[in-house]
Amino acid sequence: MEYILIQFVNGLCQGSIYALMAIGYASIVGVTGLVTFAYGEVMMIGAFAAYYTFQYFADQLLVGILASFAAAACMGFLVYKICYERFFDKPRHISLICTIGFSMLVKNLAQILFGANTKAMPSVIQNFFLDIGPVRINAVQLIIVATVIGLSGALYLLFNKTQAGIRLRAVNQSRQAAALVGINVKRTILFGNCLGCGIGGTAGMLLAIYYQSLSPTIGSTFGNKAFASAVAGGMTSIPWAAGGGVLIGVIENIGTAFLPNSYRDVFAFVFLFIVLLLRPEGLSKKEGIRP
Amino acid sequence: MLKVENLSVSYGYVTALTDVSFEIHQGEIVTLIGSNGAGKTTCLMAISGLVPKETGKITFLGIDITHKSPNRIVNMGMSHVPEGRQIFPSLSVHENLLAGAMGRPGRTKAQIAEQVERMFSLFPRLKERRNQGGGTLSGGEQQMLAIARGLMMDPDILMLDEPSLGLAPILVEEIFALIQNIHRQGKTILLIEQNAAMALSIADRGYVLESGRIALSGTGRELLNDQQVRSIYLGG
Repeated sequence: MEYILIQFVNGLCQGSIYALMAIGYASIVGVTGLVTFAYGEVMMIGAFAAYYTFQYFADQLLVGILASFAAAACMGFLVYKICYERFFDKPRHISLICTIGFSMLVKNLAQILFGANTKAMPSVIQNFFLDIGPVRINAVQLIIVATVIGLSGALYLLFNKTQAGIRLRAVNQSRQAAALVGINVKRTILFGNCLGCGIGGTAGMLLAIYYQSLSPTIGSTFGNKAFASAVAGGMTSIPWAAGGGVLIGVIENIGTAFLPNSYRDVFAFVFLFIVLLLRPEGLSKKEGIRP
Repeated sequence: MLKVENLSVSYGYVTALTDVSFEIHQGEIVTLIGSNGAGKTTCLMAISGLVPKETGKITFLGIDITHKSPNRIVNMGMSHVPEGRQIFPSLSVHENLLAGAMGRPGRTKAQIAEQVERMFSLFPRLKERRNQGGGTLSGGEQQMLAIARGLMMDPDILMLDEPSLGLAPILVEEIFALIQNIHRQGKTILLIEQNAAMALSIADRGYVLESGRIALSGTGRELLNDQQVRSIYLGG
């Protein structure tokens, strides 16, 4: 029983990172209207940006957050330019396949540039422990959760209290109507895509810190988890995507209390499978309907 | 003020508009009537830059806008309230109005707030619902919100696409009274309607679109009394 409780707490921590990934993913899908398969690689680049920053410049978490966000947002710019900009009026699968190609390119270039072997992520968080009853929480977990909550709060304000937020949500709901009220739709999509990728990059860094390791091939697992969380939450609803992320984290960790650790990924996708069987539209309720 | 010359538009192999020309002067209400599929909506979308044009030239305030992007055209002072209202369902009423203000960048927060208040006095029902999601409003309220959103940028010309579509007769009258009210405040209006009788009765001039071509034009009164128009669009 105690073990399950401990796994539950671990799950919350890991789930909070998944939530952050899913928030980024849902922002991208919401504003571009397209599923992306380059997200995992964008997160990987974010993690590596933080890794090199910690190695050569400063081993402070805040600097790492900025570096990972900036690097991943730049990747978002490239994804937009290569995979989206020319294809808005074309069939959707063109952009989709383009992101698959882009992700392969980035993954392989990263193996050449960074080396294919797994690296140890420097520990930038001063470790201490907090004992609450039988559960021991370490500093890494606390700070990760705090970072995720802080970033989510900042995003909430951005989306709900600023002009840019209204623009993003308007484009998300109707591109044509957004253009007709004078919103520059393409620039808003570019901004939303970079923002979502930046969030993903920071989430990638947090995962690398959590696992204390990173390699150029971690992207696909990351990307799949983000995808699963966002789909479970209903794809474009940001709060529900975050909820989906936390749920998947918790289910994974409680699952590993009963089955070997190598089954970890099974839980995420079986969960997604069940959600989609029971509620094909995801967990969120559809918008625009009277409660 | 707005001049459309020899406009042709087609979707793939289907021709939607052929050689359409018309003109709107400052301070007029002009209406474009025609049956379903005559090309009325396509015409507005082409003016706003939402569909590519095959041939033709569109000038607004003396500037060629034929190949400008939609948001640029809006920024020049042209507001287009689209068919089916297309309000933002999960933005609140207030946020929908704020989105409408994007069409005119460079105003201060206070000026925008003032404009919001002006809209609330024009549409008191929206004020009661200011924090409600746009999608929870009734059809008539949504249409009012769409018009209010279009007015938020304080446009020089307001283009309305089927504002009476799907509304109860009493609401249709209310909407038309509103359009006249907006016109009295000095706005130029291009109105597209299937409800030809109502539209012609408030319009200075009208054009009749028939399968993508301008078939007839004249003052509102002339068209109302035209035998052909009466038999086809006014039911005898």
